[in-house]
Amino acid sequence: MTSGPSPAPRVVGVALVLLGISATATSMGISLDQYGRWGARFFPLAGSIALILLGLMELRNAPATSAVERKHLPAIAALLILSVAYVWMISALGYLVATALAAPAALWVFGVRSAAGLGAAALLCSIAYHLVFFKLLGVFPPLGRYFDLLDVIGGY
Amino acid sequence: MDVFPALLGVLSDPVLLGWVLLAAVVGMIVGAIPGLTASAAIAMLLPLTFYMEPLPALAFLYVIGKSGRYGGSIAAILFNTPGTAASAATQLDGYPLARQGKASKAMKVATISSVIGDFTGEILLIVGVAWIATIALKLGPPELFTVYFAAFIVIGSVIGKSVTRGLASAALGVLVAMIGLDPISSTERFTFGSFDLTNGIGLVPLMIGIFVLGEVFAQIEERGKMTEMVQNGNDAARNTLTWAEYKPCLPHVARSSFIGAFIGMLPGLGSAIAAFVAYGEGKRRAKNPEAWGKGALEGVAAPEAANNAVSGPSMAPLLTLGIPGSTIGAILIGVFLIHGIQIGPTMFLTSRDLVYALFACGLIGIVFYGLIGYFGAAFVGRFITRIPTKVLYPVIFLTSFVAAYTSRGNLFDVYVMVAAGFAGWAMRKLDFNPAAFVISFVLAGGAEETFRQALLLSDNGLMIFVTRPVALLFLLIGVTALVMRVRSLNRQSRAPHMETAQ
Repeated sequence: MTSGPSPAPRVVGVALVLLGISATATSMGISLDQYGRWGARFFPLAGSIALILLGLMELRNAPATSAVERKHLPAIAALLILSVAYVWMISALGYLVATALAAPAALWVFGVRSAAGLGAAALLCSIAYHLVFFKLLGVFPPLGRYFDLLDVIGGY
Repeated sequence: MDVFPALLGVLSDPVLLGWVLLAAVVGMIVGAIPGLTASAAIAMLLPLTFYMEPLPALAFLYVIGKSGRYGGSIAAILFNTPGTAASAATQLDGYPLARQGKASKAMKVATISSVIGDFTGEILLIVGVAWIATIALKLGPPELFTVYFAAFIVIGSVIGKSVTRGLASAALGVLVAMIGLDPISSTERFTFGSFDLTNGIGLVPLMIGIFVLGEVFAQIEERGKMTEMVQNGNDAARNTLTWAEYKPCLPHVARSSFIGAFIGMLPGLGSAIAAFVAYGEGKRRAKNPEAWGKGALEGVAAPEAANNAVSGPSMAPLLTLGIPGSTIGAILIGVFLIHGIQIGPTMFLTSRDLVYALFACGLIGIVFYGLIGYFGAAFVGRFITRIPTKVLYPVIFLTSFVAAYTSRGNLFDVYVMVAAGFAGWAMRKLDFNPAAFVISFVLAGGAEETFRQALLLSDNGLMIFVTRPVALLFLLIGVTALVMRVRSLNRQSRAPHMETAQ
């Protein structure tokens, strides 16, 4: 993949206008108060219309933007997918197992290739975060819907 | 002076002093790590402080902010990479000094100037804040709304390369803040039938996403880059700072401290602008302007004093009006809220002791980071070069998830944090303004409340905002700031064309 400036200026302007239009339409659906006044509708509508106007100004007078290095996009996409997958895994498999899977994956994305290091991260990160946040601070851990290691080891 | 008993109280509490010392060390290290900011550290540590008493929690985060601003100078001088945006001005003369084998001398100048600047800002805050709060108590909803309006405009338009994208960031912040139930009528807004959204978007996951996860996404592009420290050698003669050498810096430090303090009071402007304004003003008035940029000690002193002088006064709009003057202020709102402390002018009636104890912690924090920096900046620099970023950022990545969950014990918040993280990265890439987005998110609730209260008070609808003099004044301040910024950008964009034409 080649590096180069993104076609951002026009895209940003169009995105702002579209976002503003959809937010305006949604704002118009906000119920009026019992006296028929726009109270709850006014601010969302003002913000939405401001977005449309700013989007139009952006289209008219689009400045140059910083180039997005496209060679990094796969890694960024990988990190985004890992982020979403990690939250889903926490909800499905509990915090310990999810972290044991996500920690080496995150290190891998950042360029760590040592098998021992990745294995150690899987173990140490899960234990360290569990001890600090769920034991020391007393936060109730997120339990897995399908499986949770805490059920097995009784580590609540 | 309420601050003296507060100082005695803090000094007699070893646990609190321990938190302040820890904050000074953590802030300095975080500020010195290129790419990592004090805002990111504070956002990440915020949920931990929910389990602390209010004063240690606030003091810990407040001092991290102060120390982090100073820590940026370590990276600027020793690594030729500004640890924070504000320390980019320090780099202009700091790195040339380091190349000349005078890194320790430059660090000593940066440390002393930062301490003087920070003390000046803190003392101005202590002296002036109660007075501002007294005035703020007299403002009614119309005046307060126009203060919010001016803050939206200034925050959105003054920072960043693009006025339209800055203002769009502010508008997006307002729209995201509207998600959930209307606080007055309980009408659903932007919830799209989702139960999770009826509670609104949490401030803590949003900030962790924007400032922490967003930075992790950004750091992907820096993978594999090593932080290298300039070799300083052990030349004591070059690195001893004498009074004769520092004396010419003093007028620059004094002027820059007041520049920083003034800019700090204005919502949204922040340290980076203060540092560059002070550097420019210092160079204009210097007896040796030709030496600036090539390793002038004054060129380190001026931006560092201004950068740190912002810290105290930036708390003034937060404490007196509930308007955060900086991203750190916006994050501190989370601590105040979670501990049930109402920010705004009434805070000086309800939590006066807490406020002055916080100021006292700030003063002690300055002494701590000053001492650590003066004697140990090189050690901190060497420590940072040993932190492998390919391990550091994955750890920060994992911490951001558990921190976002901890804030309310809710996995939906973690999804919000992920979305905010990606949005924060995209905003940086597309020259939007994440700080304006977050500060506007924080301001939106208060702005809407005062707007609706003002309309209830009004017999003439929106005319109430132009018929009351103070309200009109703030409206004009907002509009004037916008016009001046647009004109300034137009001049800047025309300048290269004119040079080309010539």
